[in-house]
Amino acid sequence: MAPKPSFGDEVANLLHAAEGNPLRTCIQCGTCSGSCPVVKFMDQTPRRIIGMINAGLKDEVLKTNTFWYCASCYQCTVRCPSGIDIAEAMYALKRYTMWKNQYKEGLIGPTFSETFVKTIVRSGRSYEPLLAPTYIFSYGIREFFSEALNATNLMLKGRIPILPPRIKRLENFRRMIAHIIPIGGVE
Amino acid sequence: MTEKIGVYVCHCGTNIAGIVDVEDVAKWAAEKLQRRGVVIARDYKFMCSSLGQELIEKDIKELGLTRVVVAACSPHLHEKTFRNACKNAGLNPYLCELVSIREQVSWVHTDKVVATEKSKAIVSGGVERVIWHEPLEPLRVPIHPATLVVGGGIAGIQAALEIADAGYHVYMVEREPSIGGHMAQFDKTFPTLDCSACILTPKMVDVGNHPNITLLTWAEVTNVDGYVGNFQATIRQKARCVNTELCTGCGICWEKCPKKVIDDVFEAGLGKRKAIYTPFPQAVPRYPVLDKANCTYFLKGTCKACEKFCPTGAIDFTQQDEFLQIDVGQIILATGWDLFDVRRMPQYGYGRLANVFTSLEFERLSNASGPTGGKIVLRDGVTPPASVAIVHCVGSRDKNYNPYCSSICCMQSLKFAHLVHERTGAEVYNCYIDIRTPSKGYEEFYQRLLEEGTHFIRGKVAEVTNAYRTPEEEGKLIVQVEDTLIGKQRRIPVDMVILSAGLEPRHDAKEVGRLFGISCSADGWYIERHPKLDPVATMTDGVYIAGVVQGPKDIPASVAQGAAAAARALGKIQQKEVAMEPIRATINEDKCSGCRMCNTLCPFNAILFHEDKMVSEVNPALCQGCGTCVAACPAGAISGTGFSNEQILAQLDGLLLLNIKRLEEIPA
Amino acid sequence: MKEYVYFPGCSLEKIAISYHLSAVETTQKLGIKLTELEDWNCCGATAYFHVDELLAYTLTARNLAMAEKIGSEIVAPCSACYKNMYFTNVHLNEDPDLAEHINEALQEDNLSFSGKMVVKHLIEVFSNDVSSEEIKSKVIYPLSGLRVATYYGCQILRPKKDHEDVEQPHYFEDLMSAIGATPVDFPLKLTCCGGSLLISSRPAAYSMIHNLLYDAQRAQADVIATACPLCQVNLECYQQQVNQEFGTHFAIPVVYFTQLIGLSMGIPPKKLGFGKEFLSPKKAIDAIKNIKSQEEVITQ
Repeated sequence: MAPKPSFGDEVANLLHAAEGNPLRTCIQCGTCSGSCPVVKFMDQTPRRIIGMINAGLKDEVLKTNTFWYCASCYQCTVRCPSGIDIAEAMYALKRYTMWKNQYKEGLIGPTFSETFVKTIVRSGRSYEPLLAPTYIFSYGIREFFSEALNATNLMLKGRIPILPPRIKRLENFRRMIAHIIPIGGVE
Repeated sequence: MTEKIGVYVCHCGTNIAGIVDVEDVAKWAAEKLQRRGVVIARDYKFMCSSLGQELIEKDIKELGLTRVVVAACSPHLHEKTFRNACKNAGLNPYLCELVSIREQVSWVHTDKVVATEKSKAIVSGGVERVIWHEPLEPLRVPIHPATLVVGGGIAGIQAALEIADAGYHVYMVEREPSIGGHMAQFDKTFPTLDCSACILTPKMVDVGNHPNITLLTWAEVTNVDGYVGNFQATIRQKARCVNTELCTGCGICWEKCPKKVIDDVFEAGLGKRKAIYTPFPQAVPRYPVLDKANCTYFLKGTCKACEKFCPTGAIDFTQQDEFLQIDVGQIILATGWDLFDVRRMPQYGYGRLANVFTSLEFERLSNASGPTGGKIVLRDGVTPPASVAIVHCVGSRDKNYNPYCSSICCMQSLKFAHLVHERTGAEVYNCYIDIRTPSKGYEEFYQRLLEEGTHFIRGKVAEVTNAYRTPEEEGKLIVQVEDTLIGKQRRIPVDMVILSAGLEPRHDAKEVGRLFGISCSADGWYIERHPKLDPVATMTDGVYIAGVVQGPKDIPASVAQGAAAAARALGKIQQKEVAMEPIRATINEDKCSGCRMCNTLCPFNAILFHEDKMVSEVNPALCQGCGTCVAACPAGAISGTGFSNEQILAQLDGLLLLNIKRLEEIPA
Repeated sequence: MKEYVYFPGCSLEKIAISYHLSAVETTQKLGIKLTELEDWNCCGATAYFHVDELLAYTLTARNLAMAEKIGSEIVAPCSACYKNMYFTNVHLNEDPDLAEHINEALQEDNLSFSGKMVVKHLIEVFSNDVSSEEIKSKVIYPLSGLRVATYYGCQILRPKKDHEDVEQPHYFEDLMSAIGATPVDFPLKLTCCGGSLLISSRPAAYSMIHNLLYDAQRAQADVIATACPLCQVNLECYQQQVNQEFGTHFAIPVVYFTQLIGLSMGIPPKKLGFGKEFLSPKKAIDAIKNIKSQEEVITQ
């Protein structure tokens, strides 16, 4: 029987197409976290996350907001001296937490992503109004009104779609998706 | 006449005997190959031991063996050992063949039965082959006692002085107007904080004055012919436009010269020199050179101030480049390094942000005879910095640029930190990934810097920017880095940033290497003969390397390598001649059609073509026995001694046990 | 005549319609034909990659497979769409097993991906495929004196695709210079605007938007030019909120580079989608001396 993969191996397996070097080649130099524009808002810096993965600290990693706060700007990836694709690793961690349904409480990212995917599966195109409920109530009263005002302004300028768009060959599209994952669920 | 062959199968302890039934192999050889000439077959625990060798010697003497086959480890290890044993017993050493049943059998197979059978086949191959061996004599070539040292940095200087002091002649060729190399640019050297010029210039003067050294600066080697002991080098002595017989080095010419030029070699672009100049005051030799590309006379036909004022009439605008031919026995390459071009990392802002400096620029800033007289100031030339950040590992340890560690930058960065403290009292931030302080006094130097109050931030700097976010940051250079020891990104506003850039091979290292017949590794450093046990020799006999040209290293190591190369050269000179392996290619003139295909294929340029006879000939001293020409010759006119067609085909015969099959068909 | 398959992307339908309008107008002026990909689906942005990588590649592969039927080069105005298509193309070309798996799914829509498409960002068309002489020749009203902060954003350049400078590119500035504008020194031109963090981590996004606006203001930019709808929305539509959060008073208009190119070519502003912004660039653009007649002035 094959040995159980380590957490590091699991993350590496989720990095299917990433061309970077393995996470274990990290020399902990900190260039990634030094370049990151969002690091101030993360529980642990990206470098620490890689260190924690290499140390096998799975639960601690999954509890952080780090990868859900990643903006995928890839500044870390292009500068990493070990050639590790850190931004992709962040994507892999997001997928991992979605798959295991184990992530920090209060994060908007997972629900938003799930809803987004459901929207596309339904119609083939994204539709902002359907996505609004995933975040509009999460930032407090003032933000809610501010966002509502923004949305109204955008609507007045003709920048928000009224009717949800759809692609024509939707049936084929859905069958195509069903080939990859069971339709109706995204886990 | 059948040869008398002795077969010796080694146990190598359990290395071979653990997998191969060595007694069986010996017995088999004695029995099955008896009719092929095997008169004795032994197995022994350690053939390479003196007792093992004695076995061979005894058998040669007592049984009159004419050929020896040893089945043991790889020839790389003990071919010489067994050849010597044969020689001691009076048998030509090239009549001995070592076949590997360790690397090729016991170390790669686990099935004992298969391994034993394979070993038998290998022994059989060895026996068939050795029958075709011929007695060979090594080639002896005389060594010319003069040595060529290319590169006048500290490694080259050390090598030259050692050879010259031992009483032999040295030609030193240096591309720049003066010797001294990069070390002459530094102010202080780590960890002792010795003044660099104070320890270097006495050696430079020794070189300049030494009766056994012919110093050729402002010169380059353009061609090398020949082989170990017998090189002919062509040197281009570039035109100085100064008659060195008359010049006294008084300096009036460069004083009076009106044309100022940015000196981007010695002053790293920070200072200026004149069109006629010596790079620095303690230059050896003292003779200036004229930079024709920037001289008003050569550009416009006017000025000639230097000529007018020279008290001895030493200026000669008509001087041309001269070519000299010298004969030397050995060559030492000590051509040094170039600095990593930090513009390849735009995120550090060099060139875009004024007060970002490279390490060499900072060396010049801190040097007392530099463009600011040793004052550490910003680009405006006046303001001292109140805060300085020193960035480690710029262009090193980075798969995007150079994957290797440049060895000296940590110590250099610590030295910079110390100089900044001492001269300006500024706050210093060293941003590093690791602090590498391996040699004598280095770790203590780091401790000293810690005591001095240097702020050490463990994190590789992500970027240097002037995009301020707060009033404190305005007008400063902001170093953005993760302080990994506390796990937070920090933005540190400083006045000056020093980039400790990595060391790289010279931009023309490959071409220069080719001149001398040596090659570069993937990183571009010259390849030594063995990375651990032979760092100054190369694969080309007679050519040595010393200093950073072999890989990044500090001054003590460069000096040690210079001395080591000199010792090697001296050893050969004292022996007066060198013996060369007779494994060479030879061309059968009768079969050669003169197609010259081999001429261009030879990686060692060892094949000459005789126009008169329309045939090629291999120079046995240059030939390394690689076999390329043997394989390529369409007429089959080339054979390799030690690897002739007959020998190889016989070995194949033996490996496939076709010899045994034939024997079985013939009645005994 | 240059031809491209045109992939507008979800944003260009409504929220970034001015990008779409100005893209079509300016390419037409330059004699470039854009054929919109029929029945295109959403590229998946970043959200799909949060959920399932294989599915994300399949979505994009569908678009590429459809595009293969009608052309050889596909152009995307949105940096996220561009990045997804470019790298899906690369990964599927490098991994035939993956491509085979996805092709099985694509068969449901009678499609097959073969990997021959060349994927480009719209700005590449203007900065690489068309010579700057050609662009200059079409400029009627050079935007002299207009200080433009050229905001590249992040996914247009990164991850690295071999053939470009990811730390100090200058093609966007060159393009603005070609139409007579003055690109300003904008060090944060490659720094992320926050993208979808506006939804999932708003405070982080506000902080990033604030840094960008601060830098553009420091550079005294009259206008920020972008090449991505997410960047435009983040930088423009939330300036008010950023002002509230940080106590600042930013009022920097954010337009698409195609709108500026269109203006310089004399295309009427309405046709370029001007009038749909929160912050009108009217004041800045009016100040340009070279705008001849009053009809050219933007009305809002």
